[in-house]
Amino acid sequence: MTSSAIGPDIFAYDVGEFWDEMFTPECIARPHYASLVRELRTLSPGEVERRQRAADLSFQARGITFAVNQAAEGAEKIMPFDLVPRIITAEEWRKIELGLEQRVRALNLFLDDIYHHTRILRAGVIPVDVVLGSRGYVREVHDLDVPLGVYTHVVGSDLVRDSSGDFYVLEDNLRTPSGVSYVVENRRVLKRVWSQIFHDYDVRPVEGYAQDLLEVLRAVAPEDAEGEPTVVLLTPGVHNSAYFEHAFLAKGMGVQMVEGTDLFVDDGFVYMRTTSGPERVHVIYRRVDDDFLDPLAFRSDSILGVPGLLASHRMGNVSIANGIGAGVADDKAVYAYVPTIIRYYLDEDPILPTIKTYLPTVREDFQFIMDHIDELVVKAVNESGGYGMLIGPHATSAEREAFKVRIRANPRGYIAQPTLALSRHPCWVDDHFEGRHVDLRPFVLYGRNLKITPGGLTRVALRSGSLVVNSSQGGGGKDTWVLAERIGDGGV
Amino acid sequence: MTLLCRVAENLFWLSRYIERAVSIVRVLDVTAHLELDAGDPGTPDVDFWIPLLGPVLPGVAAQAPQPRPEDIRYFLAFDADNSGSLISCLRNARGAARRVRDSLSSEMWEQINVTYLRLEEPNRFVQLEEDLHGFSRQTRDSLLLVQGLSETTLAHDEAWQFLSLGMYLERTDGLSRLLERQSHLLTSDATSEYGYDAVRWLAVLRSAGSSEAYSRYYSLRVQPVRVLEFLLLNASFPQTLSYSVSAAWHALEAISQESSARSAPPLRALVRARASLEHASIDEVLEMGLKEFLHGIRANIAEASDQIAAAYFRFAPEGNRHHAVARAAQLMAAQQQQ
Repeated sequence: MTSSAIGPDIFAYDVGEFWDEMFTPECIARPHYASLVRELRTLSPGEVERRQRAADLSFQARGITFAVNQAAEGAEKIMPFDLVPRIITAEEWRKIELGLEQRVRALNLFLDDIYHHTRILRAGVIPVDVVLGSRGYVREVHDLDVPLGVYTHVVGSDLVRDSSGDFYVLEDNLRTPSGVSYVVENRRVLKRVWSQIFHDYDVRPVEGYAQDLLEVLRAVAPEDAEGEPTVVLLTPGVHNSAYFEHAFLAKGMGVQMVEGTDLFVDDGFVYMRTTSGPERVHVIYRRVDDDFLDPLAFRSDSILGVPGLLASHRMGNVSIANGIGAGVADDKAVYAYVPTIIRYYLDEDPILPTIKTYLPTVREDFQFIMDHIDELVVKAVNESGGYGMLIGPHATSAEREAFKVRIRANPRGYIAQPTLALSRHPCWVDDHFEGRHVDLRPFVLYGRNLKITPGGLTRVALRSGSLVVNSSQGGGGKDTWVLAERIGDGGV
Repeated sequence: MTLLCRVAENLFWLSRYIERAVSIVRVLDVTAHLELDAGDPGTPDVDFWIPLLGPVLPGVAAQAPQPRPEDIRYFLAFDADNSGSLISCLRNARGAARRVRDSLSSEMWEQINVTYLRLEEPNRFVQLEEDLHGFSRQTRDSLLLVQGLSETTLAHDEAWQFLSLGMYLERTDGLSRLLERQSHLLTSDATSEYGYDAVRWLAVLRSAGSSEAYSRYYSLRVQPVRVLEFLLLNASFPQTLSYSVSAAWHALEAISQESSARSAPPLRALVRARASLEHASIDEVLEMGLKEFLHGIRANIAEASDQIAAAYFRFAPEGNRHHAVARAAQLMAAQQQQ
């Protein structure tokens, strides 16, 4: 590992048994990383450290923080940022784009179907109880026509690379996916603290996201909205872990960020309370879960929502993004059927593979899970953010037994998947580089057209050996570069 | 752009907290001068400060029965249990700013955030005690930069007028309290030019950030009546009562043009305060009694504040707000993030 390609100490790096994003197993830089590696080699550990600190300070000063769920009021953390960017080639990106486009179209056709004619259920292609038994299924929006037939205006699907280097879809986030603000902020901060490394690369910009989102939201406004429809962003408030992002997006779009109490419904229309009286609202980009949106229709104890909102929505007087009930399609059990869904509605083969998923409700799968739980990852279907998960190979036998009991008691509540050898990327740890597991969350916008921001959030499991990348579980982020056609200058 | 009631309210309070913090920093700095100037070992330092500081003693005494100057400074600057301390003001200002962060410029938000984070750093009180002047200067500059950024990086629209309104109402309130606490000095007969009283009145000017302006205006030694005249009635210096009330009125008038007739009651209260400052002479004020005069102004300001809240911040009665707020915090946090 000390060939001429390796340089000074800073790169005494262990590629390990995994697919490494930067190096081949022989520890040669992959072509698209070559010039970055060369640049890194010119630095001493002290210089890397200094830039890392400058980046951390910048996040702190700008208040780019997330609140930790359930922690004491006001507890904010910065999301750990790793300096070394993750690079995706134009070819890799093209496949990701096509694959996600196909997937999002199919999922919207699926949502439209199950909330109207339920053809796919009648045809017996997917078991009825998988869909109707999902916590994300909302019968209150049955037979409701949403503008353009779009339910998922913003999608953040998580992709991972396994040991062969292929990308898989790990899960879809169709309700209120977050993280796009970090895509933009990570880029800004990296440019500020380390602009030199951009010189040899033609990196596609990510800045335009908020304006693209606004265009999508305007496109789904109710038909009676004259001129510019009024769009607002509905946030649960400052204690929510993604609050920074809500403010970031509202500002980027130039729209009001509202809390539930800022809105009210009168005679079937939604208004916001302004200093000059009520003002009609046409489109709500909500970052509040379905359950909390309207205390008259859903959880009656919710004061984050707006009483009467669902009725107004059903009358077609206000559009809601993402659509109510979209969560049924990112249910972890429905995930197992997405390839089927794609074939059923589009008559195409899935471009991006999904991960083999075992459903305890299926007899053979159940037995397999019980016998192989020490090799599997078990996930609760109704949780996200890395909560409610068992990673078989890393768990104690007591933890595994406890999960078996839970699965037996509630088979519809869990799924199991093989433990993936997620790819790794060099990350700056203390004073040297170490490999850490990463995933990739691109953001797909869907209005009149589909648009995918070139890049996405690369999340890093910062704890050594950890496979969990969620920020609530100590995950960090990296700037993610999608290259335009020209690739670095090749070679080492 | 339309302005949400909640946003208007938070902007108003954010600005009040920043202005309050500025005045606390000025007082902290003045305490150092007093310690040096007072000189009389027979007079306990704290007795000297009380008229400047206002009713801080009960709060300090709870922790230190025989408060030393540093106890008082801690109470004023860093005591998180003191809702009027510098750190509390900054925490509140930042909290309000965070709730409306999409309405602020990034520069302004960042400056508020950084000012607060710097105060939160460990050992800040030790640094304050080691270099009070340096600490005050840095913190004051940092706060004035917030106000400057509000001036230069935001559109001077309705939202901005609420910032302006909050700042000037707070200044009016703080200054009238400060002056009211000095009224007993007027009755004492110790008026020697180099006596304590001159020192005290100089401290009053400094607490109001006005000593240089006073000298330029009067080129006189510090004389109590002239100091009062300046701080109450001078219409061109922004740290005076007359100027602040008039500026608050201008802000409110600009708001009322945006928001129809709802401004009438708060405007009326400010018009009364403005009239009494514009038309009075210092002799009339003293004849009426400083305390009574200031009382009248403060009553007008309090009335205006209540009516501003009623006209702009609240549409409907909010019921059991406290309970609702606690519940909201819980629910906000419970929103799953994907």
